[in-house]
Amino acid sequence: MTLRITLSAAIAAATIVAIPARAAPRTDLKVGMAAQDVGQLDPHRAVSTIDRTVVAWIYNGLVRFKPGAMDPAQIEPDLAEKWESSSDKLDWTFHLRHDVKFHGDFGELTADDVVYSLKRASDAKASAFSADFAAFKTVEATDPYTVRIVLARQVPSLLGLVTNYSGGYIVSRKAVEKYGADFTRNPVGTGPFAFVSDTPNQSLELAAFDSYFRGKPKLEHVSYRYIPSDSSRDLAFQNGEIDLIYGKQDQAWINRIRALPNSVVDVFEPGELANFNLNITAKPLDDIRVRQAIAYAVNRPELVKWQGADTARPGQSVIPAGYLGFSKDVGLVNTDVAKAKALLKDAGYPDGVTIKIIHTQLPQMLGSMQVVQAQLRKAGINLDIQVVDHATFHQQIRKDLSPIVYYAAARFPVADIYLTQFFHSASIVGKPTAVTNFSHCDVADKEIDAAKIETDTEKQVALWVEAQKKIVAAVCAVPLAEALQIWAHRTDLDYGYELKASLSLGPLLTEATHFK
Amino acid sequence: MIGFIFRRLLASIPTLLAVLTLVFLLVRVVPGDPAIAILGDRATPETLAALRAELGLDRWIGTQYFEFLGHALRGDLGTSMVTHRAVWTEIAEALPHTIVLTLAAMAIGCMIGIPAGVCAALHRNGTIDVLTRLLSLLGLSFPVFVSGIFLLIVFALQLHLFPVIGNPRPGDWIDGLHKLVLPAITLGIVMAAYVVRVTRSSMLQVLGEDYIRTARAKGVPRRSIIWRHGLSNALIPVVTVVGLYVGILIGNSVLTEIVFNRPGLGKVIVSALTQRDYTMLQGIMVIYCFLIVVVNLITDISYGLIDPRVKQ
Repeated sequence: MTLRITLSAAIAAATIVAIPARAAPRTDLKVGMAAQDVGQLDPHRAVSTIDRTVVAWIYNGLVRFKPGAMDPAQIEPDLAEKWESSSDKLDWTFHLRHDVKFHGDFGELTADDVVYSLKRASDAKASAFSADFAAFKTVEATDPYTVRIVLARQVPSLLGLVTNYSGGYIVSRKAVEKYGADFTRNPVGTGPFAFVSDTPNQSLELAAFDSYFRGKPKLEHVSYRYIPSDSSRDLAFQNGEIDLIYGKQDQAWINRIRALPNSVVDVFEPGELANFNLNITAKPLDDIRVRQAIAYAVNRPELVKWQGADTARPGQSVIPAGYLGFSKDVGLVNTDVAKAKALLKDAGYPDGVTIKIIHTQLPQMLGSMQVVQAQLRKAGINLDIQVVDHATFHQQIRKDLSPIVYYAAARFPVADIYLTQFFHSASIVGKPTAVTNFSHCDVADKEIDAAKIETDTEKQVALWVEAQKKIVAAVCAVPLAEALQIWAHRTDLDYGYELKASLSLGPLLTEATHFK
Repeated sequence: MIGFIFRRLLASIPTLLAVLTLVFLLVRVVPGDPAIAILGDRATPETLAALRAELGLDRWIGTQYFEFLGHALRGDLGTSMVTHRAVWTEIAEALPHTIVLTLAAMAIGCMIGIPAGVCAALHRNGTIDVLTRLLSLLGLSFPVFVSGIFLLIVFALQLHLFPVIGNPRPGDWIDGLHKLVLPAITLGIVMAAYVVRVTRSSMLQVLGEDYIRTARAKGVPRRSIIWRHGLSNALIPVVTVVGLYVGILIGNSVLTEIVFNRPGLGKVIVSALTQRDYTMLQGIMVIYCFLIVVVNLITDISYGLIDPRVKQ
C-alpha cells in the first residue's frame, strides 16, 4: 500500500515536472506612433490623433462609449453610475461612483472635480472644445457625488458632450491648480493607465493604475513610442520590437502587413469624410453651374479604387455615413463628364476654367487631391495646386485664401456637429464664431438651428436630412471618400473587446487589454 | 594660440547676433500659426486669440524681439510653446546624442576615406583606383534614408544583430555604442565618399611636386615619402572638407535620427518646425550656429597643427 502510494506520488510528481511550465504572458505593451513628439496631454487641448489616442487611456468621462463602439445609443456609465434628466432635457443630474481615485496623490474624485472640468472645457481660454459647451447655463455640485447641469437650450446630445471624447474628460482640480500651465506635461486622470514619464521626441511611459475603479489593469506598463519614419515603424513592428502600430490609409500597406506572420490589421470607424468645400462667394465658384460641373466631374468610385477597398468608401452625403441624421438619399449626382462640360459652357467657360487652390503636402491628402485634379481636368476644370506644408495649409485656408478646400474630418457621430461646423453661416472662416465653414454655405441654417432644439427625434432627423439635401443642391461641398482608421497589432495582443470603432482614433486600452 | 582662439570667439559674437536676429525673423516669416498647430481645427477664434496672448504672440514684434534677445544673451532660451519644456533642457538632452553621432560618423569617414584616398592615388587609374572611385560615387548617390533602411533590413531584420529602434538606454554606454553602429555607418559612408575624393586628388597633386621627386631621388623610403612628406601636406584640403562637412553632417543627422529613431537635435528641430514652435526653433538654430562656429575654429586650429607654416 505504502509502495503504491509512493509510486503514485512519484508518477504524479514526474507528470507535473514533465508538463512544461507555460510562460507568463507579457504585461508590457509597446506602441509605435507616427509622431515626432506628443503635443498636449491636457485633454481639453488634445486635438491631434497622437495626443487623443493616449489621452483616452489616462482619463474618463462621466459616461463613455462602449469600448470598441461609437454608437451614441451604446453610451454607458463611466464616472457617473446613473443619471436622469427633466422632461424638456434641459436639466440633467449625474450621480458619481464612489471611491474613484485620481492617479498619484490626488485623492478621490468628487463632484467638485467634475464641475471644475466641465467649466474648464467650456472656457475658451483653457479649452479647444469650448464651442461645444455653448449651451451650458450652469454646472454645479449639489453634493460631493452629484452634479447638476442646466442647459440654456436644447442640445442634440448632452451625453455626447460628457462622454470620454474631446471636452468631456474629467481632470483633477488639485492637479491642474498645482501644475498650472505644466499640467499638459503632468496629466492626472482616473483612467486605467497613469502617466509615468515623458522623454522628448522618444516616448511616453505609462503604468497600470492599480486603484482603477474597474479593477487593476492586466497590462502593467505601456510605452508609447514616437517613430515618425513610416519605414522604420514598419520594420520595428516586423522585427517584433513593437506590439501595436499606427498604420497607413493605404491598401498596399494593409496587404503587406496582413501578409506578415503574427499580425492583425485593425480597420475601424470613424471614417474621416473628405469633402471638396467650394467657396460659393468666390469667382468662378459663385456660379452654381461651375460648382455643379465639379460635382459631375468627380468620380468617387475611381478615387476609392485608388485609395483601397479596405480603407476607403465613397462619400454618400456631406456628412459621414452612419451619423445620427445621416441620409444617403440627398441628391448626389453621379459622374457625367459631358454634362460637366456643358454646364461649364453655359457658365461662360467653353474652353475650360483654371482655379488656383492651396493644398497640404501630407502624402495621403496630396495623392487624393491629384486623383481628383486628373478627374476634373477631363471636364476642362484645371486645378492649379499650390502645395504648402500642413501648418501653412491650416493657416491659409482659415484666411479664405483657397476657393476650394479639401478637408477630411470625423466628428461626434450626430449630424448636428458636422453640419454646424462645416455648413452653418456662424462657422464661416473669418467670423468671430468661425469654425471650419470654408464654403461660406448658409443655405441650411434654418434646418440646422431648428434640429438643435427639436425634441422629437424623428422630426430632428428629418430636419438634418433636409439640411443635407439643401447643401448638396447648392453644391457647397462635393463629398469624395471616407477613410477608415488603420492600425495593426500582434496576434497575441487582445484588446479585451471587439474593436469596431474608436473616437479617439486609436485603439482604446482598458483594464481588460492583455497579452495571450 | 590662446589669443588666437579668444580673437576668433570674439569675432563670432556678431555672427551669433546676426543669426539670432535672422532666426527670430525667419520663423515668423514662414506662414503657419502656432495657435492653430496647437489647438487644431475646432478651436474658436476666441480660443486661438487667448492662446496667442498666452504665448505672447499678440505683442508688437519689436517687443518680442528685444525680449528674446535679452533672454538669449543671458543664456535663457525660454520654454517650448507646445510642450512647455525648457528649451535648454530639451537641447541639453538631445545635443550629446547628435554630437556623438557626428563624431562617430566623422571618425568612420576619415578612417575609411583617408587610407582609401591615398591608396587610390598611389594606384592612379588602376583597378583599385577605379573601384574606389566607383564606391565613392555610390556612397555619394545614396541618400541616408535609403542606405539607413537598407542597413536596417540586412542587420536588424535579417541578421538580428541590431535593433530597429535605436534609442539607447540612459546610462548604459554599451547599449549606447551598440545602437550607434548602424547610424554612424550610414552617416560615415557619405562622409568617407567625400573624403576619398578629396584625399585622392590632393595626394595626386602633392605626389607630383618637386620635393617628392627630390625625396625619391635622395632614396627616402617609399613609406616615408607617402605618409610623412606626401600625406601630411595633402591633409590641409582634407581637413577643410572635413570641417565643412561636419556642418552638412549635423544637417544629415536629422534624417539619420529619424530613420533610426535616435534621440538628437534633428528630431527636435523637425518636431518644432511642424508645430511652429518658435521658441524651440530659435533655440536650436542658435545652438546649430554655435556648433558650426566651434567646428570652424577647430578646423583653423588644426591647420596650424598639421602645417607649422600656417601658424606663422
